[in-house]
Formats: sequence, structure tokens, C-alpha cells
Amino acid sequence: MKKIFFTAVQVAVLYFFALIGNVIVSVLHLPVSGSIVGLFIVLALLYFNVLKLSKIELGASFLMSEMLLFFIPSAVAIIQYKDQILQHGSQFLIVIILSTITVMIVTGLVAQFYVHKLSGKKEEV
Amino acid sequence: MFIALSCIIMTIVIYYFSKLLYRKIKFAFLSPLLVAPCILSSLLVGFHIDYSDYDSGGRWLGNLLQPAVVGFAVPLYKYRKVMRKYLKVIAVSMTTGVTVALISSGLFSHIVHLQSSYLLSLLPRSITTPIAMAVSFNIGGVPTMTAIFVIVTGISGLVLGPMIIRYLHIKEKLARGLLLGMGAHGAGTSKALEFGSEEGAAASLAMVLAAIFTLVFAPILTPIILL
Repeated sequence: MKKIFFTAVQVAVLYFFALIGNVIVSVLHLPVSGSIVGLFIVLALLYFNVLKLSKIELGASFLMSEMLLFFIPSAVAIIQYKDQILQHGSQFLIVIILSTITVMIVTGLVAQFYVHKLSGKKEEV
Repeated sequence: MFIALSCIIMTIVIYYFSKLLYRKIKFAFLSPLLVAPCILSSLLVGFHIDYSDYDSGGRWLGNLLQPAVVGFAVPLYKYRKVMRKYLKVIAVSMTTGVTVALISSGLFSHIVHLQSSYLLSLLPRSITTPIAMAVSFNIGGVPTMTAIFVIVTGISGLVLGPMIIRYLHIKEKLARGLLLGMGAHGAGTSKALEFGSEEGAAASLAMVLAAIFTLVFAPILTPIILL
């Protein structure tokens, strides 16, 4: 019960930083999203020891482990676009799947190659 | 108010049910992000519930994505030393990843003959929703279509990412994380956390960097892609 309470409070704290980020973004007309600005604020506060890790860790790990839940409402939104999906759905899927595969393969291999190079290891196949 | 609340509860219950199902039958295509929306949309259609009514509650759950993104500061902070050590690797991999994401989305759209409004909406699909929508707007796409492509990318990445990691023998934790965060934004990052906390940290960094790099690269590369 105590853990649930702390988690809820910490989620509220993280939400607060996201809201601050939103305000900063709208005042300064920044092209990034408020939550990313909030992330950098929290990162800076942690780095300069203003905010203790223990004050947000529980809430952060809860939010991160249940993150798929927060994507579900926007996934349901797809039913609003029945017509476009019926007409072009397979084309969209082909592009998204092939491009995702390409991006993941290239990024993974480049990163792995450089890590091996850096650590002086011969690349294992 | 009643409808909104019941939609929230319904979503949470179905989410936990599909999560349980996924844990029992470890089959990639049964990802909660695929199963739960399918069940929910069939319920909405079956019971003639308007999407806008559902969204009055669903929006509150979707809003929690914002503090979740802020929460990624925690793994980034914890692994800051590793990140600093591999700064060059990360910079090179992410620059390559973002460029490949934009160009391959454009190229495949050309190949399947999609009209340019769809092509432009597809370009920023591999980054987190709010920034993807902003980029889409900037380069002349349709932001709401982009939001859908972002979600579909997330689902695809959840399914494909672990397969790619396995088939290509990607053993480095950093490479696994970067691949998942670059390829499938937050959804990929949640998958990376299943692999381990270091993978999760790398993926959260990749997600943030991909968004920022795309913001800069997309307007530059779009005219080339449209040629």
C-alpha cells in the first residue's frame, strides 16, 4: 500500500516536469515536445544533485514498464481512418515493415561494428 | 464522465488480460499493443461506441506517455558513464539510423506508388508521436496520419526487433538498445527494458536522439527524397 502511494506521488512529480516542459515549449516556441524538455530538466536536476534519484525512481520504472498501455488509445484511433486503411493499408504496411527492418539492421550492425572496433575485438560472425 | 471512466477501466482490464496472454504464450504477434487495440476496436464497433466517446477517457491514459518519457531520465542518468564512453559510437549509429529511416521510408513509398502526401506523412514515422507530428507538419505531411504510422511502426518494431537481434547475432547491449530505440521509439524502448536495464538506457537515449536528429535532418533530406 505504501509502495502504491509513493509510486503515485512520483508519477505526479514526473507529470509536473512534463507540464513545465510543455509551458517552456509553448513560451519559447521550441520545435521539440514538452516531455523531452522535461526529461532534460530532470536529467540536469539529477546531475547537479538537486533531485535525488530515489525521489522518482519508483514512479519512473512503473511508467516505463507499463508504457504499452499508454500507446493503446492512440492505436485504437486507427479505426477512424477506415477508408484510407482499406484503400492503401497494404502499401502502408509494406513501407513501414520494410523500412523498420532496414533501419534496425543498419543501426544494430553499425553500433555493434563500432563497439567491437573500439574494444579492439575482432568481429565475430 | 461515466463513459470516460468506463473506457479507462475497460482499456486497463483488456491491457492486463493481453499482457497475461502474452506472458503465457511468448509469441511476438500476440504483443499487447496488437491484441488490446484489436479487442477494443471490435468492442467499439460492436457496441456502436463513438471513437470520440472512447477518447474522452482514452486521452487520459495517452497523456501518461508524457511523464513516462520524462521518466527515461532515470536510466539515462544511471548509465551516463557508459554513454559518455560510447559517445562516438552512439553519434555515428544514430546519424546513420535517422538518415536511413528517412530515406528508406521515402524510397519504399516511391516503390509502392504512394502519393506524396502519404509519403511525407510516412517520413518521420520512426520517432516519438508528438515530435513526429510536428515534423510531419513542417515538411507538408498530414500529422494525424503520421500518428498512425508511428503506432504501426511501434507494433512492427516490437515484433521484428527481437527477431533481427536474434538472426544477426547482435550481442552488444548498446547495439541492441540503439536498434530498438531508433527503429521503434518508445515501444522499442519498452522491449529493450525486457532485455535488461542497460539495453533500456541505450534505447531511451536512441529514442530521444532520433527525435532530435529527425527534427534537423527531415527538412534537409525531404527535397532530395521527393526528387
